[in-house]
Amino acid sequence: MALEVSHVVGGYSQIPVLKDISFDVRDGELVGLIGLNGAGKSTTINHVIGLLTPHKGTITLNGVTIDQDSQAYKQQIAYIPETPVLYQELTLREHLEMTMMAYDLDQKQAWETAHDLLKVFRLDNKLDWFPANFSKGMKQKVMIVCAFLTQAKLYIIDEPFLGLDPLAVNDLLNLIEQRKKTGASILMSTHVLDTAQRYCDRFVLLHDGQVKTEGTLSELQAALPEAGESLNDIYLSMTKVDRA
Amino acid sequence: MTDLFKSRLQRHLREMAKYLRLVFNDFFVFALMFLLGGLGYGYSNVLKQLKLGLWWAPVVVVLVLLVTLQVGRFATLIEDADRVFLLPKERAMHAYLVAARRYSQGLAQTTQVIVVFLLAPFLRVALGWSVPQIVGLLIAQVILKDTLLRLDLASAYQVTGQRRMNDWPIKWALGLITLAIGVWLTPYAAIVLALLVDAVVAIWMQRHWQQQQIRWREQIKIEDNRMLGIYRFFNLFTEVPMVEGTIKRRRYLDWLFKSIKPTHEQTYAYLFSRGMVRGTDFSGLVVRLTVIGMLLLYFVRGEWLPIFLAALFIYLIGFQLLPFFQQYDDVVFTHIYPIAPELRLKSFERLVTLILGVAALLMWVVIIIANLSLVTAGIALVVELVEVWYLARIYTPQRLARAMKNKA
Repeated sequence: MALEVSHVVGGYSQIPVLKDISFDVRDGELVGLIGLNGAGKSTTINHVIGLLTPHKGTITLNGVTIDQDSQAYKQQIAYIPETPVLYQELTLREHLEMTMMAYDLDQKQAWETAHDLLKVFRLDNKLDWFPANFSKGMKQKVMIVCAFLTQAKLYIIDEPFLGLDPLAVNDLLNLIEQRKKTGASILMSTHVLDTAQRYCDRFVLLHDGQVKTEGTLSELQAALPEAGESLNDIYLSMTKVDRA
Repeated sequence: MTDLFKSRLQRHLREMAKYLRLVFNDFFVFALMFLLGGLGYGYSNVLKQLKLGLWWAPVVVVLVLLVTLQVGRFATLIEDADRVFLLPKERAMHAYLVAARRYSQGLAQTTQVIVVFLLAPFLRVALGWSVPQIVGLLIAQVILKDTLLRLDLASAYQVTGQRRMNDWPIKWALGLITLAIGVWLTPYAAIVLALLVDAVVAIWMQRHWQQQQIRWREQIKIEDNRMLGIYRFFNLFTEVPMVEGTIKRRRYLDWLFKSIKPTHEQTYAYLFSRGMVRGTDFSGLVVRLTVIGMLLLYFVRGEWLPIFLAALFIYLIGFQLLPFFQQYDDVVFTHIYPIAPELRLKSFERLVTLILGVAALLMWVVIIIANLSLVTAGIALVVELVEVWYLARIYTPQRLARAMKNKA
């Protein structure tokens, strides 16, 4: 059990956005976090990466909570934000180097990985560029390269498919597949449901700060037999309950 | 439309007032008074030594007035969204622009009057002018400024195709010719000429503006640049969110980072050092304060005053560096990297020690050169060392710890 979120109540202020949320992500598993705008996806992610502290409940990563040992907890996580953020004063090369320093990676080995990743995402000739010169998609690729440099146990990816070109989306999915084989887990939030349906092992459907359903696609289909076949249908029927 | 300008102007003035309060803080007013006093004293000394008939005196007058003429820009307060939202109202914009020009006159003409007023004693002594002559020159100057602002207004329209009526050669040539006539010939001729040009531009505008489109993009860019200039100035004194510090590669300074080895402990030293050197905000502040301090220390001599001044400047630099610690708080990775917070603080302390150390050393050298006194140099060294140590190792961590606690 890599990540275990149990009975988490939390949010940005005293008013909770998340109302008693529980789910888990197992080793070697890609879990899709699905929900409408404002359903609590980003809040959940912010809790998992430790930017927010839960009011109630616990988040455990391979047996460690952030309060017990924040270093050991953070060491296991790599995060790709929805909106890319970079240090304006550092070049691409320096971003990579800083990531290696921060995660205490072996420089030589890490650079080998880095060069492979840079080549895949066609950034290998831009090592001395500043973030200001990158387009949004390129910045997102930098985030991906930095994250996959770390050999983390849990990758947290916030809406990766918007803004990336189709080739990069494909490369990212390959990369995820490859890391899953080595036992890493991935928690990914997205709105691109047909891609999610094809690649995620399990889904957590968030609605209004609560976990509506959770499970594999067939489990979801079994739970909501009249909803329809695809993830899209299930998702729409789930939101309709509320609108009616 | 005039109402729109009025409400915008109110908002603008409120904002300016907010910043001006911060600019004219006690320390700055104090420094400014010293500076003005010194300059006034110097000016009056120069005046005493002047004689009639110096060949360069009229040249100075023309140059000063010519430069002053360019001060006071056309403030339109136009915003980026206007080219979408006000586009249907384009014809009505004229009233808005006229109101804007009227407002721009205030500051621009005040500047002209003040400068001519300051020049008056010089005109009397060096050129032997009478009061009516000086007043005549003042009137010519004011009319010229009025013309220039009229040209700015005309240029907001696409009146003359790609050519703009307020291109800088036109502005400078117009000023140069009129002022030269005014100074070498007679100021009364300058008045007539300036009036003539102003009237021609006014009549021509009256005939043409109605058929023309506004150069939205250009006007927005001009206004943005104007505001950026103002914000930059405020940014010297206080944090202005609208000014994002620019980043320069400064490859020639890369050798500074050589001593920072790529190890886990050095992660923040790696980031802070590059951020400090390549960002212009904080490095500019440090350089400015150090240079001002050095200049002041060269001119202010004595036994204790230099020591006090050096200590003051080191404190100012150290104090202004504090917010740099939070510079990267909005980059999410600053919170996600598995790095102990103590390491970040340690790196920051080292950076502050280094910067203050270098600044202190430079000022110390100036103190020695200026005073050539072993005692003053010795005391200054001790005071500076203690201060740098205290600021970097005690004061900074304490303040930052308190700031972090307040946030949590």
